[in-house]
Amino acid sequence: MEKKVSIEKVYKPSEDVVARQVQGEFIIIPITSGIGDLEDEIFTLNETGRAIWDRMDGKKTLKVIAKDLSSDFESGTSDIEQDILGFTQELMKRNMLVEIGK
Amino acid sequence: MMEEEKPQNNEMFVSSMSLPEFPVWEKMRNQRNVISFDLELTARCNNDCRHCYINLPQNDLEAKKKEIPLEQIKAIVDQAVSLGALWCLLTGGEPLLREDFFEIYMYLKKKGLFISVFTNATLITQKHIDLFKKYPPRDIEVTVYGVTEATYEKVSNKKGSFKAFMRGLKMLLDNGIKVRYKAMAIRSNVHELPLISEFCRERTKDYFRFDPFLHLRFDANPKRNEEIKSERLSPKEIVAIEKADDERYGALRKGCNELINPEFEHFNCNHLFHCGTGNGSFTVSYEGYFRLCSSLWHPQCICDLKTGDLSQIWEKFVLQVRDLRSDNKAFLDKCRKCSLVNLCIWCPAHAHLETGKMDTPVEYFCEVAHARAEMIDGSPHK
Repeated sequence: MEKKVSIEKVYKPSEDVVARQVQGEFIIIPITSGIGDLEDEIFTLNETGRAIWDRMDGKKTLKVIAKDLSSDFESGTSDIEQDILGFTQELMKRNMLVEIGK
Repeated sequence: MMEEEKPQNNEMFVSSMSLPEFPVWEKMRNQRNVISFDLELTARCNNDCRHCYINLPQNDLEAKKKEIPLEQIKAIVDQAVSLGALWCLLTGGEPLLREDFFEIYMYLKKKGLFISVFTNATLITQKHIDLFKKYPPRDIEVTVYGVTEATYEKVSNKKGSFKAFMRGLKMLLDNGIKVRYKAMAIRSNVHELPLISEFCRERTKDYFRFDPFLHLRFDANPKRNEEIKSERLSPKEIVAIEKADDERYGALRKGCNELINPEFEHFNCNHLFHCGTGNGSFTVSYEGYFRLCSSLWHPQCICDLKTGDLSQIWEKFVLQVRDLRSDNKAFLDKCRKCSLVNLCIWCPAHAHLETGKMDTPVEYFCEVAHARAEMIDGSPHK
């Protein structure tokens, strides 16, 4: 079942993944079973995803992150909110993020 | 934001690849980076295999006392990860003998390392299965010494070990844990090698490899070294088992042009090391010694990690070792220029274990390499 994502909620990287910078490449490595299909699967984020991931500190709501990004990238908040919701939805589906307070 | 790459759907923020597809391998061609390391957690083993280069008795308290403690392992792992390591092999001895195996394993996992474990599988418990199911290793590599009790236990020197092996292996397989297989082809089990190959291949879609090349012990124990030598197959026997294995023989034939490399004849240099040692990986011994590779135990080539800093060792010491040279004419005229180097297990590390020197030819290795060359290209090599 798809997990419902809200712009008012706070999310953070799951403890089931480890994010690392290796030889200049940002990667996410699953450490538990059920994320990815292979024993040696690694994940990368596009530039937008990376910008959102870096701000997911477990304290800011997605709305606050959207506001941060809109001032950093001088872009409209509503477009950014759509990106953030899409990103969060995708990573929640992959069990790479957890919702705080749950 | 970032209009040009705005996602068209919800599946565009993340992409995945397998470890071999990671672009870091490409970068390694041009620069030295730590990619992987081996941790020998103990030299102790519950088996007592005749051909083993490291095993000490399970209850050897002296050896146990020397084992690197968890806190030091953590410090080494932290440094390795900060240098970029992605992959760690836990090996021994038998690594599952370490009482803190679970803590070590989880520490590596939480650092984002892929883990391989070399084990004889005889000590696998439900607790290991639970661990490996929840936090999967990249692979578990199991050595198959024989597929009958008599052969297995002739090699392992341990009564009851075959049953324990079969039980442990079954537990791993029944729980969907990825197992890779290898076998050492030695005097005590060579008669059973076709059955061992069959046993392994019918249990894996992945690879099975056998290794007929025995090197001598790290502790130079003379009695045990004699035992290893007695387990070595003759060049003729090695060629016969390689030829009898379609997969291996096919690969050797296919790689013939690269394996027999006349360019080596033109090398006019006295460097000892022409392999990749110290370019992307290293090994830590159970007492905490840094080595460029598992077999390289020459005193000039090891460093105590209890007193040395890993990044300093990696940046400076390794380069010094790689720059070592030889003035031994026998080596320079023979091994250094040999076109069969890729078919030979001669290397400075194995030469040192064999002769005490890193630049001495080893006749047995030479004979094996020449026999293999003749097998794959059909013509004698002098």
